[in-house]
Amino acid sequence: MMNDIIVIENLHKSFGEIKAVNDLSIKVKEGELFAFLGVNGAGKSTTISILCGQMTKDSGKVYVNGVDAESANGDYKSDIGVVFQNSVLDKSLSVLDNLKSRAALYGIYEKEFDKKLKELSSLLDFEDLLKRTVGKLSGGQKRRIDIARALLHDPKILILDEPTTGLDPQTRKLLWNAVQELQKKRKMTVFLTTHYMEEAAEADYVVIIDSGKIAAEGSPLELKNTYTGDYITVYGTGEEEIKLLGIPYEAIRDAYRINVANTAKATELIIKYPQIFRDYEITKGKMDDIFLSVTGKKLTGGEI
Amino acid sequence: MKTLRILIYRNIKLFFKDKGMFFTSLITPLILLVLYSTFLGNVFEESFRAAIPKGIAIDDKILSGIVGGQLLSSLLAVSCVTVAFCSNMLMVQDKVTGAAKDISMTPVKGSSLALGYYIASFCSTFIISIIAMTAGLIYISAIGWYISFADVMYILLDVFLLVMFGTALSSVINYFLSTQGQISAVGSIVSSVYGFICGAYMPISSSGEGVQKLVLFLPGTYATSLLRNHCMSGAFDEFEKSGIPSEIVKGMRDSVDCNLYFFDEKVSIYAMYLVLSLSVAVLISAYVIINILAIRKKKK
Repeated sequence: MMNDIIVIENLHKSFGEIKAVNDLSIKVKEGELFAFLGVNGAGKSTTISILCGQMTKDSGKVYVNGVDAESANGDYKSDIGVVFQNSVLDKSLSVLDNLKSRAALYGIYEKEFDKKLKELSSLLDFEDLLKRTVGKLSGGQKRRIDIARALLHDPKILILDEPTTGLDPQTRKLLWNAVQELQKKRKMTVFLTTHYMEEAAEADYVVIIDSGKIAAEGSPLELKNTYTGDYITVYGTGEEEIKLLGIPYEAIRDAYRINVANTAKATELIIKYPQIFRDYEITKGKMDDIFLSVTGKKLTGGEI
Repeated sequence: MKTLRILIYRNIKLFFKDKGMFFTSLITPLILLVLYSTFLGNVFEESFRAAIPKGIAIDDKILSGIVGGQLLSSLLAVSCVTVAFCSNMLMVQDKVTGAAKDISMTPVKGSSLALGYYIASFCSTFIISIIAMTAGLIYISAIGWYISFADVMYILLDVFLLVMFGTALSSVINYFLSTQGQISAVGSIVSSVYGFICGAYMPISSSGEGVQKLVLFLPGTYATSLLRNHCMSGAFDEFEKSGIPSEIVKGMRDSVDCNLYFFDEKVSIYAMYLVLSLSVAVLISAYVIINILAIRKKKK
């Protein structure tokens, strides 16, 4: 049984009349990949800022690794590593200087630092960038250093605030593989906000937040089963036959796609019309469909 | 302690590597050099020459030594403060780039951060000021050297105190800044105004009576006067030895702010040191209190 490493209870935060976070309660289990989704202004960044001790809350409780974040006097900070939306590295300094000065803030020096550096530079593939000035690196290279910076002190929780936005697919894959490897090897908890729905689909647990409140939560499968139907893609049949089914359909390049409520309904249909369903596949709805169904909004910036 | 050392190293390195910040800090001293080399130097030399009674022969070297001393004292009076302001802008720059947010998420104490900015800014400014002082002294030795070893030591002390003052003042002011626009605005105001109000561009004695009275309430004025005394006293003494009446020399000292009068009362050198030291102590205390209040506010 996994422990709850982050517990947020009845969190409230308002800015004037605007309720940025409205009675939010979430639990993140140790070692899981937790996806926190919402459109801009939904309350994600406010929640993260409160979680990291950057912002005071109006009411509610926040526990990090069993410690009350408010009364802990910052003692839990070593448990958290954060990768911000924008790089916070010193652009005029070299990669090595950046990592060295950040490691010192956690009391990591000399041999211990060298060991960490070797491990992270190999994992995130930046051994050849150590002497380069950060300002001269590409977006993807900077991101790798940002992640290394957040991992220098072996945090129990890695908070990734839209870490792959604007990166090329190859770099996104590299970063994502590294994060997943870390999560598995070190049993690190990853708290992710992202615009890329396929990244959220990899999560163990997903919370969708809208106007400061939880709009839906569960594992990707649970959410798909609850908020989207199944799709049956039928090949090698004509439109006249599909029309006979009497349910909405969509013509795609060389097939027809039928939307059904769930897998049971799909099975029922296939058994009833075996002459139509000779070549077919059943797929679950996508995370985008869930988001759209739950919030009535589309996440921007990501790919479907 | 090790963390503080690495933080200081990071801050100093960032200042010297950030060409924009580094060169901005040198604008005011450069303006001063241009002013002196184009006309101020000649204007002052001519005015001193005009004040010498007819029949007394004065070595040109002494005149050059006085003007050189005036240039060096003006240069140090502005650079110790304007460079401190620019180097201390790093604390604002860190807020703009998000580095401050990142650093505050680490277990490092707020007091270490504040101290890190202060010491780094002090070191960067002191390094530049010492380079400027050395270059200035070499220049004076070439045109007319009348500065005693004791005066050189006093100049060093003046620079130390003035850098402490500039760093403390900039720490208090910069603490409240948080945007790039504010950095530019404060940087421009300090660079352009400080040279005038401390009496570096033009002696305070040449300003109107109201302005003279006003600037006597500013600690920077006394720092300029201390530097003037220690950079120019030897040459003025040489004037007296050459037979110029002491009343005339006193008038010359008054005209370049070696002597300051607080409501007709001459301010002694010791009083000037006291004003400057107390200002440093008050500003550092203010900086400490601001940081303590900020940490307490965060905890609430």
